[in-house]
Amino acid sequence: MANTVMRCEHLWKTYEKHLIAVKDVSMRIEEGDIKLIFGPSGSGKSTFLRCLAMLTIPDKGDIYLREECLTTSGVNLNRARARIGFVFQHIWLFRHLTAQGNVELALRRVLKLHKEEARERALQALREVRMEEWAHHYPAQLSGGQQQRIGIARALARNPDIILLDEPTSALDPELTGEVIDTLRDLAKKGTTMLIVSHEMPFAREIADEMLFYDAGKIVETGPPEQFFTNPQSERAQKFMTRLIKRTRKE
Amino acid sequence: MVDPFPLIFDGFITTVEVSIFGVFAGLALGTVLALGDLYGGRFFSILIRGYVEFFRGSPIIIQLFIFLYVIPTVLNFRIDALAVGFMVFALNSAAYQKGYVKGAVEAIFQDQMMAGLSIGMSRLQTLLHVILPQALRIVIPAWSNEFCSITKSTPALLILGIRDLTAAAMTIVGQTWRVVETYSAIALIYLAWITIVTKIADIVYEKKKIPGIEISA
Repeated sequence: MANTVMRCEHLWKTYEKHLIAVKDVSMRIEEGDIKLIFGPSGSGKSTFLRCLAMLTIPDKGDIYLREECLTTSGVNLNRARARIGFVFQHIWLFRHLTAQGNVELALRRVLKLHKEEARERALQALREVRMEEWAHHYPAQLSGGQQQRIGIARALARNPDIILLDEPTSALDPELTGEVIDTLRDLAKKGTTMLIVSHEMPFAREIADEMLFYDAGKIVETGPPEQFFTNPQSERAQKFMTRLIKRTRKE
Repeated sequence: MVDPFPLIFDGFITTVEVSIFGVFAGLALGTVLALGDLYGGRFFSILIRGYVEFFRGSPIIIQLFIFLYVIPTVLNFRIDALAVGFMVFALNSAAYQKGYVKGAVEAIFQDQMMAGLSIGMSRLQTLLHVILPQALRIVIPAWSNEFCSITKSTPALLILGIRDLTAAAMTIVGQTWRVVETYSAIALIYLAWITIVTKIADIVYEKKKIPGIEISA
């Protein structure tokens, strides 16, 4: 049986004014799995992902990374987060550091690696996203696609147990989206465990083991990509897929 | 007849010492106050705001007076006038610089804090390695203004019996009646000194500037 990397049970997160972003959600991700979450904007996908990384603290429910429960009190959350790679929709690189500095920071300050070793590993991560030659550039000197690849390298460099990606291409134009997708495809080939929020449907069909349709704070439907493309079970997913496929064709 | 040069020199040194100490100690304390206001909780925030209101809301002469005479009299201790001068200028500047640092930290805070946490750093680490290095870069131009302002406020030290550059000029004028020459010379010294320091600040700002972290003022 495959190893469970991450799971959550009966997770809840409510914002003020009774806006429920995560409503009793349970799921698990096995080693090497690639799962893709999609659904309408404002449905709580980002919040759900941030809860899994404990960047947003859930109100109720449990999250396990491997065997460790992250939602019990007294857990060292910094150490736990160091084992989770997170890629943000709006990238959020450290603006005062070069590409290499962005990747190196956690290696030096969190994993406490020696300078030389940290540099080597940072360059290795940059190589993996094909950004090695841009190592000494600052974020503002790079295109959005390049920045996001640095964001992915930053998440990768610590060899995390899992990488969570929150709409990594939605802030990019179609051309730049392509290069980020290529990077993710490379990671998929290497067997990286990933949970991705994305609406890139051709990409989803190609690499996802499973897709999850998320709406109004809940996972409404789960299944292999083919199920969603040919025969979505729920009415909401059906409608959403029809719109999404139409839009993709137009592009 | 008084020799004006030693007086001017001593006055200039006092102005330089107090203003430089004030602006650097003010930056250090202002940074602590900014972080205390942002993350210290309600109690500290109220305390810090009270502090800022006091130092921004009263003339520095009154502050010097309070620290040299009122507080020592009430609490029954003695304090050196020059020490009070240094301290009050630092405390006063901190009240202003707290505002600059807080504004800069807030401007870059939220996304960078979350990014810092996401790679496994603690809040403190993120503050030290991510937020402050950016905030302090943004603060340099405001800091340079603060320096100009402090340099020109040191005549207030006279209430403590300490002679700065302007006070030295006043003494010379009182004895020589050479009003135009003396004040012109003093004005030129201020101008030269402030120009040098603000130029240095500009150079540091340019040298430390990173593409993407600039103020658009």
